[in-house]
Amino acid sequence: MKRIITVTAGLTIGALALAGCSGGGSEGDGVAEDGSMTLTLSAWSVATTPEFQLLADAFHEKNPNITVEVKDYDPAEYNTLLTTDLAAGKGPDIITQKEVKFLTTFQEGGQLLDVSDVELPEGIGGADSYKVDGTAYATPYRQDSWVLFYNKDLFEQAGVDAPDGSWTWEDYDAAAEELAANLDGAKGTYQHSWQSTLQGFANAQNDADLLAGEYDYMKPFYERILALQGDGAQESFNTVTANQLTYQGEFGKQKAAMMPMGTWFVATLISQQASGDADDFEWGIAPIPQLDASTTGTENTPVTFGDPTGFGINANISDDKAQAAKDFLAFAASEEAATALAEIGITPALLTDPVIDAYFGAEGAPQDELSTFAVQTHETRPENPASNKTAAVQNILNDMNSAILSESMSVDDAIAEAEGRVATEVG
Amino acid sequence: MSETMAVVTPEPKRPRLSVEAERRSRPAGSGGRAVGRTILYAVLIVAAAAMLTPFFWMVMSSLKDANSVFSVPVRWIPETFVWENYVEIWTRSDILTWIRNTLILSVTVTALQVLTGSFAAYGFSRITFPGRNALFLLYVATIAVPWQSYMIPQFILLSNAGVANTLWSIILLQAFGAFGVFLMKQFYETVPEDLSEAARLDGLSEYGIWWRIMLPLSVPAIASLSLLTFVNTWNDYLGPLIYLRDPELWTMQLGLKNFVSSLYDTDYGVLFAGLVISVVPIAVIFLLGQRFFVEGIATSGMKG
Amino acid sequence: MTTTATPQRARRRRSRLRMRNTLLGWSFILPNFLGFATLTLVPVIVLFYMSLTNWNIFGTSQFVGLDNFVRLVNDGSFRTSFVNTLYYSVLHIPLTIIVSLGLALLLNNKLRGVAFFRTAAFFPYITSIVAIALVWNLLFSPEYGPINEMLRFVGISNPPGWLTSANWSMPAVVIISTWRDMGYYMVLFLAALQTVPRELHEAARMDGANVFERFWNVTIPCLRPTMFFVTVMLTINSFKIFDLILVLTNGGPGQSTMVISQFIYRKGFEENNFGYASAASVVLFLLCIVVTIVQFLWNQRKSAR
Repeated sequence: MKRIITVTAGLTIGALALAGCSGGGSEGDGVAEDGSMTLTLSAWSVATTPEFQLLADAFHEKNPNITVEVKDYDPAEYNTLLTTDLAAGKGPDIITQKEVKFLTTFQEGGQLLDVSDVELPEGIGGADSYKVDGTAYATPYRQDSWVLFYNKDLFEQAGVDAPDGSWTWEDYDAAAEELAANLDGAKGTYQHSWQSTLQGFANAQNDADLLAGEYDYMKPFYERILALQGDGAQESFNTVTANQLTYQGEFGKQKAAMMPMGTWFVATLISQQASGDADDFEWGIAPIPQLDASTTGTENTPVTFGDPTGFGINANISDDKAQAAKDFLAFAASEEAATALAEIGITPALLTDPVIDAYFGAEGAPQDELSTFAVQTHETRPENPASNKTAAVQNILNDMNSAILSESMSVDDAIAEAEGRVATEVG
Repeated sequence: MSETMAVVTPEPKRPRLSVEAERRSRPAGSGGRAVGRTILYAVLIVAAAAMLTPFFWMVMSSLKDANSVFSVPVRWIPETFVWENYVEIWTRSDILTWIRNTLILSVTVTALQVLTGSFAAYGFSRITFPGRNALFLLYVATIAVPWQSYMIPQFILLSNAGVANTLWSIILLQAFGAFGVFLMKQFYETVPEDLSEAARLDGLSEYGIWWRIMLPLSVPAIASLSLLTFVNTWNDYLGPLIYLRDPELWTMQLGLKNFVSSLYDTDYGVLFAGLVISVVPIAVIFLLGQRFFVEGIATSGMKG
Repeated sequence: MTTTATPQRARRRRSRLRMRNTLLGWSFILPNFLGFATLTLVPVIVLFYMSLTNWNIFGTSQFVGLDNFVRLVNDGSFRTSFVNTLYYSVLHIPLTIIVSLGLALLLNNKLRGVAFFRTAAFFPYITSIVAIALVWNLLFSPEYGPINEMLRFVGISNPPGWLTSANWSMPAVVIISTWRDMGYYMVLFLAALQTVPRELHEAARMDGANVFERFWNVTIPCLRPTMFFVTVMLTINSFKIFDLILVLTNGGPGQSTMVISQFIYRKGFEENNFGYASAASVVLFLLCIVVTIVQFLWNQRKSAR
């Protein structure tokens, strides 16, 4: 017994020493004598997500002595894996920020370099999401925002006026009900089961502070959706979750005439129509319905939500590589990179005219003016504020979302419970 | 000690006169037996159907195209049979590498678990030494800790030892579990001491007893441990996810998941095709290996 | 061997015997123990230490003593997950034991095609958990699922919402989990049933015991070591349940299926509160240990009889 105790104690001390030292050092090689170097970059689903390799290759062309090596991570567990690697000191040089809500984790853990001196083009979206106390810890290269996709053919078939950019949520509800009534077998609209499909709009359009702990403003949104569900204008939340409906399938196979979704769907829909996985029909993009008439119409700027995707730099990077890494960040945000990204259907953070032209230049993209307006002109508010409380709050709100939409709890009770939980659990 | 006594001499409930016994033990008429049989088979078939229905749905879905797998209403038979899903897996993905890796891991881990586990179990069940029970309790106690709780310190340890991102990491992780020790120890306790005593008197060392007597006697236990360890390693997802980053090291589950998913999208038809492929070997092993589980111990002459 | 040994010599012999046994015992245990100690025991000890700190993986941690535990007691979500875990276990454990033992008994016969039936029973366990979640979600779909369709067919007009209803989600999870586990425990029971010597059954039959009496007085006592094993493993696994619920319902709707392991995962990996998550792990561990010790003592008592 005594032996066990001493051995265990010895091992424990050793392990604590290991655990106490958080990982130091990043993984890429050092700088070679001729000045050439390799920067590692974390990415996901590289085979089906070409944007990373695209940026890596384009950057290499401009800087032949710098190679950017893309490291593939599993998309669903990206954050866990990245965290594990960083903790063990095996993280990449350039840390791709997949979700804003994890930024503070890395930043507070001292894993991110201060990149406030990286020059970003005018008008680029999403840069503020990466600022903590005024210091930038990452830079955006891509920003998807949420818009309204609609099936022109189904609208015609049902005899309902297509969206024209002036809709409020009342207009949207009315259209959904009419479409469902007139169409045979298709619903008016499709709302995917993510919490963001409702809460994102509620937060952005009410300009609400997610972390303040008061969520009454979400009530009208929930009541609207429950009404749409109840009337059969859209598939109920329970069916969506139980039958695991995919939004690509629902819109692509014309099971619904409208769908609020992020702009990343544009590229997917185009390629699915080309491959036959989606039906062949005319579709367009409209700005998302607004809370009231003050932000509707093409003279105004519609309010929507969306989070950027960006790059940060490993704080443990060696000094001689730091500048190269910062150059990469600047390049990724530049118009040149944005145009290249737009050509493969990614919505870049910078949306100047040449970029938009490239975006809609793809075969199969909608060519009407409203679609262009919807993608280019919007005030995109962050879905996730950069704070270390965001993840906890979002989890609570997700529980609230499923409780309400599954009709397990009344709207008032669920909101009250969520507010209580935020107060006690997040503080 | 008393456990083995219970094995050898359980008391019958009531002593009976032999006459009554004969009458009681007359089997029911053959007609009644046939009815009983039929009912039994009916129950079994219904139960089997309940077991296999989800698998059936999986097979059917593996023959659908991506957007038809989930639909409203639920479709059992695909409208068009998309055999290409299977073709795609075999030709466009690295499935042979994945199968190879999964096989290496499963076989190695199973062999190590069984060997070290049964070896250690012998020490725990047959040899008394101070601190034995406390140590055993410690073993069982660690099973009570969820893996994701200590996975980070474990990762840091293995990473600093340089084995992360190699197959060794998974082997080390799984091969020394407490589960195998626990299972084998419980089985050893059903084996009567008389055999070991006799062997000891014959001059066999403890190691010899383990090798010559305990192991052969515990074939069903070893078979179950092997099977369960094999299945667990075969289907393990989180472990390989964290430790095996290079695509050449991926296992079936990892490779499959990666092949069919991108960030927002999963091609479920192809995924299910892969999952069907991954289930078949285990089902075959189990089907063919039945006799190891239910082989009676050929030692009915040992009592006495 | 000699009965005339002096007490001193007897004591020395006893301690020599003990030393010999200790060395012998350790020689058996060592290969497994080395791996176990380095790879499992040490990280677990680190975990216990972490529960007393506010570690968030990166950077150094500060010792905060029992603060995390105090916070747990006041945390409504933790209380909910604790209660849910107990609710799940109380339903799952007896159900699984009965069903898997029943299956093992049923399939321990030489029926035609019994190998097929055994394989069928084992299928749920070897099927990928992702597939299980997807399929069962479909089967339990409240509006369109086959199960509710059947219920409506037999006249139940308002069938439960199963996985989409806060009241029925946990029972649904229990059903799915039992369906999945029964093959696993059936295998263990099948192997154990082989150790029941046939002569005992014969003897009992000779004495006129019927099937039930034979089961109760011959089979059950012989199965006790395995029953102990199964019960302990099943209990611990039930308290620890995680991936099945994660893919089935992700703790929802609301928090109706959130269990302790998921609470740990959320706090640790999603909200980056590793010290706090470690404290919750310690509580889970204590729960398992207390119950295991109770079962251990019960088993000792039974075997001493």
